[in-house]
Amino acid sequence: MNVEMRDTRRSFGKNRAVAGVDLQLGTGVFGLLGPNGAGKTSLLRMLATVLPPTSGEIRLLGRDPRGAAARREIRRRLGYLPQSLGYYPSFTVVEFIEYFALLKEMPSSAVPAAVAAAVERVDLGAKARAKLRTLSGGMLRRVGIAQAIVNNPDLLLLDEPTAGLDPEQRVHFRRLLRSLGGNSTVVVSTHLVEDVGTACSEVALMSAGKVVFRGTPDELTARGAGHEVGDAPLERGYSAVLAEARS
Amino acid sequence: MSVLSVPPVRAAPSRLVPPRLVRALWLELKRSPVPYLLPLLAVFFYLDPLRTADGYPPVWTLRASVIGRDVLYGFSVFAAGIAAWAGTREGRRKTADLLATTPRAAWSRLSVALAGTLCWLLLAFLACVAVLYVQTALQATWGGPPLWPVLVGAAAMAMATVIGFTCGAVFPGRFTAPLVALGIAVLFEIGFREAAAFRGALVKHPSPWAGNVPLGVRVHELLSLNTGTYALLSPMNGVPSVDAGVYYRVAPDLSIVQVMFMGGIAVAVFGALGLAAGLREPGSAGGWPVRLAAVVLVACGAAAAGTGFALAGTAQPDAVAGGWEIPALHSAASDQPINAAPDCTSAGGFQVCVDPALGFDLRSVAAELDPEAAEIAGLPGAPVRAAEISSTNGWKAGIYGNPPVFEFNTDHADTVNTEFDGAPNLEGWQTELRQGLLDAFLAGPSPAAGLDPAQQAVRDALLAGAGAQLAQESYPPPLLPAAVAAAARRFEALPAGTRHAWLAAHLAALRAGKITLAQLP
Repeated sequence: MNVEMRDTRRSFGKNRAVAGVDLQLGTGVFGLLGPNGAGKTSLLRMLATVLPPTSGEIRLLGRDPRGAAARREIRRRLGYLPQSLGYYPSFTVVEFIEYFALLKEMPSSAVPAAVAAAVERVDLGAKARAKLRTLSGGMLRRVGIAQAIVNNPDLLLLDEPTAGLDPEQRVHFRRLLRSLGGNSTVVVSTHLVEDVGTACSEVALMSAGKVVFRGTPDELTARGAGHEVGDAPLERGYSAVLAEARS
Repeated sequence: MSVLSVPPVRAAPSRLVPPRLVRALWLELKRSPVPYLLPLLAVFFYLDPLRTADGYPPVWTLRASVIGRDVLYGFSVFAAGIAAWAGTREGRRKTADLLATTPRAAWSRLSVALAGTLCWLLLAFLACVAVLYVQTALQATWGGPPLWPVLVGAAAMAMATVIGFTCGAVFPGRFTAPLVALGIAVLFEIGFREAAAFRGALVKHPSPWAGNVPLGVRVHELLSLNTGTYALLSPMNGVPSVDAGVYYRVAPDLSIVQVMFMGGIAVAVFGALGLAAGLREPGSAGGWPVRLAAVVLVACGAAAAGTGFALAGTAQPDAVAGGWEIPALHSAASDQPINAAPDCTSAGGFQVCVDPALGFDLRSVAAELDPEAAEIAGLPGAPVRAAEISSTNGWKAGIYGNPPVFEFNTDHADTVNTEFDGAPNLEGWQTELRQGLLDAFLAGPSPAAGLDPAQQAVRDALLAGAGAQLAQESYPPPLLPAAVAAAARRFEALPAGTRHAWLAAHLAALRAGKITLAQLP
């Protein structure tokens, strides 16, 4: 298992963002769904070792991130795309990705090839030398994805990765996700249920800090049978589970 | 191009790949904001430090003093501001979350960014120093570039940069950079005022260079008036005498404690940056080895700065070589005079010698002294040659020895005091030099009392006879300036031979103060 969470909780003052989550994830693409404020981003930040849990236990890639040495090793094998990507406008695409490759302590001899591969995997080869300040929002999102995958991570955490991508790029991105999930654990937090339906092998739905559903996209779709809210079958399943959790 | 049509990994080109840190530093250098602002620094450097230095005589120590006083003032304020701006980058650009997931400790990451900023700023500083030194090398007649002012300047630049960057990293607000720049400007202004008050106190009180202060007097005892050790530690030094570093080497004592003080602060603040980065990103602290290293740096930096401060408090005036000596650091070897063959000329029949460092002024000095020397040639006590002496050890200009030699100091090259007037006061020093020779020749047994009216009239007549403008000075009451001037005109109107014969006959009485204005022919 690359991710193991046991009764993991995280509070901000009186607000319980994550209220006891148990999760075990192996390789594959794992979709994390839920309404705003459900705790998806907090969960992802805990998995990214940015946010320590208030209580409970987390093991990532077989290590306990509370230890400095273990945390460092986890981070070497981690890729993370935050919901809001900060970037340096004066850096070019290649420089920005290279910067993160260096910070991820990749062997320097492997960096140039890894950067080139990451740039082309997100289809930014034509903009490789462009400064980030000149890129559109969707292109910046792809730069964010590229920096996350540059080290071929064993654990890839993507928070709203398709926000701002055009339909064609979304299709490309889903293919990329599937290929990445072949030998690593990919956790995708998203509002867009169609991303989950086409790219994820497994899905969890969070509400009020708890996982209220876990299964395959087909199982989620099945839960929507007879439910009227939602345009697509997966959306109906999503709405049905949420309605059930709230009732 | 579709992602599916692209192979996931492209073969790496076969070339030498630099280590990670070097490559990261290269990225920081390439994308640093400093180069965009270098033209502003260049304009500042041309308008202030370079032009100020150009107004000074081409003597190495004097020209190098511009580094501490003029270059650093502008450069350090700029360095602190731009470093603070660079330090706020992660906060401004909201990359903290993303960067926190990388295995590199935050301190290590910030250190690379700081190093990139510091490299540019030091490069700019050293480039300006190089321009200053090349300009001096093209004009100077002797000596070489002093390195201690450069080291002190580098330490000050490092201190300002590290302070600025740390403030920016810890408080990443949009007003951090201007506030930090303002803070450093105020610190330097305080240093400037301290240094100015320091010099003022030295003028108001017995001057250590005049030899009136007993050796062993400490700085804080000598200067209890609004000044303190900070004046000595501040790189905002005063203008040294023209011949500083000419006759005696400038002792590096003060420079050493300045480097210790400012370098120590830089190291301590850099360590504090490590601790602050660890507090800000607990997960990115890098573990106890990094925290321990930060604590050690803070302790070592504070110890170095504290030691520098304590040592500066023991400074005492160097009565021989000028400047300051710190007993714990002082080497007696630096008090040995520099032996350099003087530059001499006898083109006008009267030999005039100056130190080779002031050789650029030899012809001018000789041109001023030759006519006066001719007026008094052959008279009892008239100098047979003129030689320049140090101004830093309290010697006074005068005629000494047998055969008599007129010894004068380097005030002739001192255009410093007129730097703010826009042009050197050439007439002033010409008259002063000529008067100095005649005053020494005509003075009685108590030269400090000055010339009496008859001596003044004779001096003015000789000056006028040699073609100089008469000095505009006040005469002691009850005598009217007009009376002295009339006597001088009367004496000047005599044929040169008659003047000379009268002086030969009456010189002893004139020097003894036994000749009145009315007795002058």
